[in-house]
Amino acid sequence: MASTETTGTAGIARPERAAPTTTQPTLDDTRPPAHRTAMTVERDAGLPGHGRPAMLFLAPFVVLYVLFIIGPAIYGLVMSFFDTSLVKSGLGDFAGLANYAEAISSRDFWSSLWHTIWFTILTTPPLVIVSFFFALLAERARRARWFFRLAFFLPYVLPSAVVALIWIWLYTPVLGLFTRWAVKLGFTEPNWLGDPNLAMFSLALTTLWWTLGFNFVLYLAGLQDIPRDLYEASSIDGAGPWQQIWRITVPMLRRTTMLVVVLQVIASLKVFDQMYIMTQGGPNFATRSALQYIYDVGFTDFRTGYAAAASTLFFLVVLAVSAVWLVLARRQEPEL
Amino acid sequence: MNGPPNPSPHPRPALSRRSLLRASLLGAGAVAFGAAGAGCSEVGAGLANSELDPGTVSYWNLFGGGDGVRMQQMEDGYRKENPSINLDAVTLSWGNPYYTKLSLATLGDQPPNVAVSHLTRMKTLVQAGLLQELKPEDLARNGMSADKFNKRAWDAGLVDGKAYAIPLDTHPFVLFYNTKLCEAAGLLDSGGNLKKIEGPDAFADALQKVKQAGAQFGATHGINSDPASPWRFFQTMYSQLGGEVLADDGTRIVLDDAKAKQVLDYMRSLTVEKGLIPGAVDYQGAVALFASGAAGFHLNGEWEITTMQTAKTPFSMTLVPNIFGGTYAVQADSHTLVLPVQPDQDRAKLDRSLAFVKSMLDQSLTWAEGGHVPAWQPFATSEAYKKLTPQSNYAAAADAAVYDPPGWYSGSGSNFENVMGSSIGAVEAGLISSDDAIAQIHSKLSAFAKTAPPV
Amino acid sequence: MTTIADKPAADRELSAEQARRYATSADRRLKLFNRTCIGVLIAFALLWLVPLAWAVDTSLKPNGETTNPTWKIMEPTLASYRTLLDQGDIINWYAASIITSTLSALGTVVTASLAAFALSRMRFRYRWLVFWFVLIGIMIPNQVLIVPQFRELAAVNLLNTYWAVILPQIPTAIAVFIFKQFFDGLPKDLDEAARIDGAGFWRIYSRVVMPLARPAVSAVAIFTFVWSWNALLWPLLVLTNPKLMTIPVGLATVQGTYGVRYADTMASAILGAIPLVLVFLLFQRRIVEGIAGTGLKG
Repeated sequence: MASTETTGTAGIARPERAAPTTTQPTLDDTRPPAHRTAMTVERDAGLPGHGRPAMLFLAPFVVLYVLFIIGPAIYGLVMSFFDTSLVKSGLGDFAGLANYAEAISSRDFWSSLWHTIWFTILTTPPLVIVSFFFALLAERARRARWFFRLAFFLPYVLPSAVVALIWIWLYTPVLGLFTRWAVKLGFTEPNWLGDPNLAMFSLALTTLWWTLGFNFVLYLAGLQDIPRDLYEASSIDGAGPWQQIWRITVPMLRRTTMLVVVLQVIASLKVFDQMYIMTQGGPNFATRSALQYIYDVGFTDFRTGYAAAASTLFFLVVLAVSAVWLVLARRQEPEL
Repeated sequence: MNGPPNPSPHPRPALSRRSLLRASLLGAGAVAFGAAGAGCSEVGAGLANSELDPGTVSYWNLFGGGDGVRMQQMEDGYRKENPSINLDAVTLSWGNPYYTKLSLATLGDQPPNVAVSHLTRMKTLVQAGLLQELKPEDLARNGMSADKFNKRAWDAGLVDGKAYAIPLDTHPFVLFYNTKLCEAAGLLDSGGNLKKIEGPDAFADALQKVKQAGAQFGATHGINSDPASPWRFFQTMYSQLGGEVLADDGTRIVLDDAKAKQVLDYMRSLTVEKGLIPGAVDYQGAVALFASGAAGFHLNGEWEITTMQTAKTPFSMTLVPNIFGGTYAVQADSHTLVLPVQPDQDRAKLDRSLAFVKSMLDQSLTWAEGGHVPAWQPFATSEAYKKLTPQSNYAAAADAAVYDPPGWYSGSGSNFENVMGSSIGAVEAGLISSDDAIAQIHSKLSAFAKTAPPV
Repeated sequence: MTTIADKPAADRELSAEQARRYATSADRRLKLFNRTCIGVLIAFALLWLVPLAWAVDTSLKPNGETTNPTWKIMEPTLASYRTLLDQGDIINWYAASIITSTLSALGTVVTASLAAFALSRMRFRYRWLVFWFVLIGIMIPNQVLIVPQFRELAAVNLLNTYWAVILPQIPTAIAVFIFKQFFDGLPKDLDEAARIDGAGFWRIYSRVVMPLARPAVSAVAIFTFVWSWNALLWPLLVLTNPKLMTIPVGLATVQGTYGVRYADTMASAILGAIPLVLVFLLFQRRIVEGIAGTGLKG
C-alpha cells in the first residue's frame, strides 16, 4: 500500500498548509479531485466513502477469519449431520440427527462432560482463593516481590508437555518425589495417576501449580490499586486486619475476581493436555475430558461426523457458561 | 491499555535491556537458521511442503522398554549393512496414540516408509485404505514368500486373500517364574523346569506355595492404568473355555456371560479373596515386583524377558498353564511390518522399504532373544532358535494363538481392549463385582457394535 | 468498640510519650506481622520451586542413579542432555516452535491491527455488521473447530507443514478488539493533523497510530507467541512427522520412548522449558504489565 503523499512526514501540521492540495490523490479520495476543500474532506470522513480502503485493511484478517474460523464452523455444523469418516473423502451418508442422538444418549459423552465439569470445580476455587491469599501476603513485601513473582509465575510459561513430564516423574510409583514424601509422612503409597479416585485430584494439583501464577499477578496488580487511605481510615475506625480484608480488599477486587473466575472456568472447560499426556484419559476413562472424547472419536475412531456433532454440543455448553457470565457481569457493572 | 502508555516509574538502563533483547533475538534466529542450515530440509519441508530426505527409509515403531533396546540393535544392524541409506527410526508411545498418529501421518501424506502394526490393528488400517498391498512378485523380488512365515500368523493377516503385512513374530501371554522361589516351593521338576500346572486349583495352589516359600506375592501382572494385561489374562482363560467375544467384524457381541463370570470370579479370587496377586499395581510396578524377587510368578507378554535378564532375576519362562482345560489357547498378537500408502511410491522406494523389512527378518535371532516367537520360518525351524532358552520353551504358543476378534474398534491397545481391560481390571482390583463388569462390558461394547463402521 | 472519634477531645490528645510508644509498639507489631507473612510466603514459594528444581536435579544425574532418588547428585553429568541433543529431534522442534510462534505472532499483530484500525478509524457502510461478524469469533473456541479444520487442511494438502499450524492461529478476534479498544482511546486529532498533511490511511496507520500502540502490540505479540508456543492439541493433529513437530508435540509424542530413563526424560523436559523461561526472564515486566492491564480493564 504505497503512499502517494510527498510532502513530508505525517502527523505534523505544518502552519503554512491550510488545506490539502488537490494534486495528490490519497487512498480516501475516490472522486475527481475538483473543488476539494477542507469542508469536503470533513464530509468525506462522514460518508461511506471509506469502503475501499476499509476493505483493504480488513481483507487480511477477514479472509483468514472466514477460511479458518467461520468456514470450518459452518462445515463442522454440516458434517455433524452426516456419517463423515476421517479416512473417506466427501461427506458420507446422510445421518440426520442420528449423531446428535447418539451423543446425547452416550454414557461416554456425558461422563467426559462430567469429568470436565468436575475438573473445573476442583481447580477453580483453589486457583482463586490460594492465589488471592498469596497475593495478600506478597503485598506486604516490597523488595522480595520479584522473587515471589518469579517462583509463582514461572510454571505458567512452561508448555503443558513439560509440566506433564515433570509431574509424571513426581507422581511415579515408588520412585517419585511426592510418592516418597507421602510415604514418609505415614500415608500408604498413593497411586496418584493410577487410582481412578485419586487421578483427577492429582491432575488438579498439577494444574494448580501450573496456572496459579497468572491469577497471582492479576490479584497483586489489583491489590496495588486499592488506595491506602481506605485502610488507614478503617484502622483509625478500629478495624482489624481480617475486617479490612473482608470489607475493603475483597469487594474492591470483585472485578478482578470475576475475571479470574471466568477465565479459569472457560480454560478448564477446554482442558485436554494434562489428561492426554499424564493419564491418557484413564484410569478406566476416569479422567477423559470432553475435548479428549472428541479427539478419540474423531481421530482414533475415524468418525469425524459424530465428532463434529459432539463438538457442537460441547460448544453450546461453553457458550452457555459464557452467557451466564455475561449476564452476571452486566448485572454487576452496568457499564460493561 | 487505553491511551498512550505512562512512562515507566523505574526507568531501567534501557541500553542493557535492549542489547540483551537484541542478543537473545539474534540467538533465537541463529538457532532457527542453524537448524535450518543443519537440517535445511526440515524447515524447507515445513514451509514449502517439499519432500523430506528423499532416499531415506523412515520407520515407526512402538517399542519401548526391553523391546525398544532389541529393536534399536536391529536398526543398527541394518545401518551397518546399508551404510549409504539413512535410516530414520522413531519410537512412539504404545497404544491408541501410536495408531492415531500413524493414521494422521498417512492422511497427511507424510507417513513413514515402514511401520510396525499389531496384526489385530492392521485390518482396520487396510479397510481405511491406509496400507499398501504387498504383492507376491514384489515380495519374491526381495526374498520373501508366504510359505516362509508361520502359517497361523500369515493367514490371520490376510484380508480378502491379499497380504498387507509381514509378520515379524507372535508374542503370546506367558508365565514367568522365579526359579529360586519355585524350587523352594517344590514346584520344579528334576530338570529345573516348572512342573506342568493344569486346572484353576493347581494354579492357585502353586501361587500359594510360592508365597509360603518367602515371596511377598504369588504372582503379579499389571492392573492399574493397564487395560491390556487384565484383558490378556482373561482372554487366555476364556478362550480355553471356548468363549468368543465378538462376531461379524465386531457388529455382534457373543460374550458368553456364564463363562465370562467363571473366569472373572476366578481372577477375583486370586486378587481380592486370596491375596495371591496384588490388585493395585500398574504395569511397571508388576514387572518391578517380579524382577526384584518379591513375586514367584509374573504374567505378562514375553517381551519383558530383557528386563528380567538385566535385573539378574533367577527366572525362566513357559506357557501360561491350561487353567480351564479344553483345547489349549493363549492370548497373543503378532507384530507385523506394514507399508503405509505413500503419495509418491515408485519401485525404488518400494524395494528400499521391503529390503528393510527383509533385514529385520534376517535379524530374527536378536528379536527372538527379546522373547518373541519368530514368525520367519527359516529361523524358527533352525537349531539356533531351538537352543535359545527360555524363549523356545513357549514356541508352541504361536500355533495356539488367539488373536483379538476383528472389528474396527478392536485390536491391541484399541477401544475394545480398553473397555474389556478396564472392566476386568476393576474386578481384579476389587472395585466392581463380576456381574457389574459383565453388564458394563455389554453396554459399552454394544454402543460400538451398533455404530456404523467408519471404514 | 469506641473509636478515637468518640472520646472527648481532651483525651484524644495522647501525650507525646504515649503516642511515640504506641506508634513504636504498633510499628513493631506490624513489622512482625509483615515478617510472618513474608516468611509464610517464602515457604510456599520454595515449595512452588520444588518440581522444577527436582526436574533439573534429576536431569543432571546418570540414568541409573535416578532409581535411588535423593537430592544429592552422586555423579553429576550432562550425559542426558548430550544424548538428547545428539540423537533426538529437539533441535528440529526448537526450529519448528520458533518459526511457527514468530510467524503466528507477527501475522496476528498485523492482521488484527489492520482490521481494528479500519473498525476504529474508518467509516463505511455495514461497519456495524463487520463488527458483530468479528465479535462472534470470540464466542467460538478454536477447540470445537479441530475436526472441520483438519479436513480442510487435508483437502488442500497442507498437513505436515508449518502453515497448517500458523494459518489457523492468525485470525484472532479478541486481538482485533484489544487493538480497537486501544485505538479508540487515541485522540482523533492526531489523525486529523496527519490528514491535513495529506496522509492517507496507510500513513496514519503506520506512522501515527501504530508507533503509539506499542503496549498493545507487545501485549498481543507476547501472548500470541506464548500461546502458540504452548499449543498442543492442534499441532498434535497436523504435525505427525517427528522432524516437523513443535516442542510440546515432540515431547508428548516420544514420551514413551525413554521408559525408565528418567534422567533423559527430565532433560528433554528442561530443554523444552528453556526457551520460554528465557522469554519470561527477559520480558517479565512487559508480560506482567500486560496481564495487569487486562485485569484493570476487566
